[in-house]
Amino acid sequence: MRRPGSPWLTGGLVASALVLFSLLVLPVGALVLRGGVAGVRQLGVDGELQRALALTAASATVATLITMVLGTPLAYLLARGRLPGGALIGALVELPLLIPHPVAGIALLLAFGRASPVGGALAHAGLGIVGSPLGIGLAMLFVSAPLYVSAAREAIARVDERYEQVARTLGDTPFHAIRRVTLPLASRGLLAAAVVMWSRAISEFGAIVILTYNPKVASVLSYDRFTAFGLDAALPVAAVLVLLAMLPLALLRSLQASAGPRDRHP
Amino acid sequence: MISLDQLCARAGQFDLRSVTLAVPDGAWGIVLGPAGAGKTTLLEAIAGVRRVTSGRVVLRGVDVTTVPAERRGAALVHQHAFLFPHLTVAENIRYGARDAAFAREVSRRLGADVLEHQPVSSLSGGERQVVALARALAAEPSILLLDEPFAALDPRRRARTRSELRSFQQQRGITVLHVTHDFEEAGTVGDVAIVLDAGRVVQVASPAALFRHPANGAVADFLGAENLFVGTIERLGDGADGVAPLRFTGEGLVLFAVGDHAGGAGHAVIRGDEIVISHGGEGSSSMRNAFHGIVREIAPAGPLARVSVDVGPTPLVAIVTGESSRALDLKVGDDVVLSCKATTVHLC
Repeated sequence: MRRPGSPWLTGGLVASALVLFSLLVLPVGALVLRGGVAGVRQLGVDGELQRALALTAASATVATLITMVLGTPLAYLLARGRLPGGALIGALVELPLLIPHPVAGIALLLAFGRASPVGGALAHAGLGIVGSPLGIGLAMLFVSAPLYVSAAREAIARVDERYEQVARTLGDTPFHAIRRVTLPLASRGLLAAAVVMWSRAISEFGAIVILTYNPKVASVLSYDRFTAFGLDAALPVAAVLVLLAMLPLALLRSLQASAGPRDRHP
Repeated sequence: MISLDQLCARAGQFDLRSVTLAVPDGAWGIVLGPAGAGKTTLLEAIAGVRRVTSGRVVLRGVDVTTVPAERRGAALVHQHAFLFPHLTVAENIRYGARDAAFAREVSRRLGADVLEHQPVSSLSGGERQVVALARALAAEPSILLLDEPFAALDPRRRARTRSELRSFQQQRGITVLHVTHDFEEAGTVGDVAIVLDAGRVVQVASPAALFRHPANGAVADFLGAENLFVGTIERLGDGADGVAPLRFTGEGLVLFAVGDHAGGAGHAVIRGDEIVISHGGEGSSSMRNAFHGIVREIAPAGPLARVSVDVGPTPLVAIVTGESSRALDLKVGDDVVLSCKATTVHLC
């Protein structure tokens, strides 16, 4: 059905949308088109690339799981306004999103490097963060956990608190009401938050490169090959990394598309 | 028993202020009041899901002011049902149930059993309310807090559900506090009626007494009194227990009444069904109040007719049966006499 409207307005909206869309999609499209096939082929034979991808995915998964366990309670408290100074705490939690990631790496080095009390104790226990997978996971967590907390907070806030109240009057303790009602109702949003965090974590470079150059994650390997061997050597690695990031993104979009009415109707 | 003592609670910018009331064990309390009066906040404070800023909540003789909601034995049914959308209807009903057989009985008697295999998202508003009621009853509460639980039900299902709920309430001795805007419902099921306005209790009485003797003009207006006038009240003598003949003057009317009003500014309230319409002269009768007037409007209302008669600046409204209206051959423009006894004029 045709809708009434100015053709000039429609044309202007489409044109401006196309410009931004092209700016966002063209570079990634070019990368995948030029390096995608070679990258997939190389994946079968390049042991270093395989190890880098496995390390990247494993570190991002561990960082995401830890954040889900620790970040969901924080997101709940922020969503329900149960924290004194909640606005300030919410802003502080999102701070890592605003600082340049190499600066985040330096900050982590200061807080958890061998010279710091915490880092010294960790190193003494065999858990040094510099040059170790632990450092990679920590860097990923630091830069991407705020995305999880922020999205999880919104997902929980969308669940009307009165569901919990009803569950309480039916005999649930606050913990059980959250476990039986709030978390299941927010589950799609929490999963989407985790997917966003995971995608961001696997593409992290700046903070990781300060803490742990070796063993290499995929982003560091791509940079390493670019500086050592040039663009053609870096392209397949970069393209595979983009494809890896696109997988959860596609999952996220399908989740959002299938988000039914259950979160909206009492 | 639900007993509130100087209860204060806050909901956003709204304050529930010093609410004191009592609903006896096994009684059905009705809460009435205009929108924003604090009715839902009151139920939430009793249920324990709204923080009380001062005062006491006593349920079954136990001070539960600081007791968490899950240990109060008070189930809350919201107007919008709030069925858990990730569960089936059957899982919703069993949510707080300790006895599965009782939950099934509740479901069957309320007519929710036929819905049990449907997803919550497919239910109509009325069906959701029935399931929410079944879920609350299945938890075997001793206190049931209802926030307009029948609002979305069609009249037939409303009557059936109300009747079953009343039956459960009487069998199990449940004390009910029920928010409604339906005055007929209040009169049908209520043992005690509480009127809230702006966060305060304005009147507590039996539903019959509430409608016949509203505490003030605002309550009378809220309850939809057909005839409400503002004026001055004079005591015409002294009677036993302070009850004396009274005269009300205002809005072009002089009304005689009997009561304990101290005199001064006040309101006169006359229920429409207390007014008698007749043709012809006033004649001799015991009616102390009689007025000539011209019929302005006859509005049928089901089996009744609402007859507006110009007797002064404000019309008087009489409620008569359609049959009476036809027997009197009432027509707009007729010259009629309206009369009522002094005892039916309530001054407040």
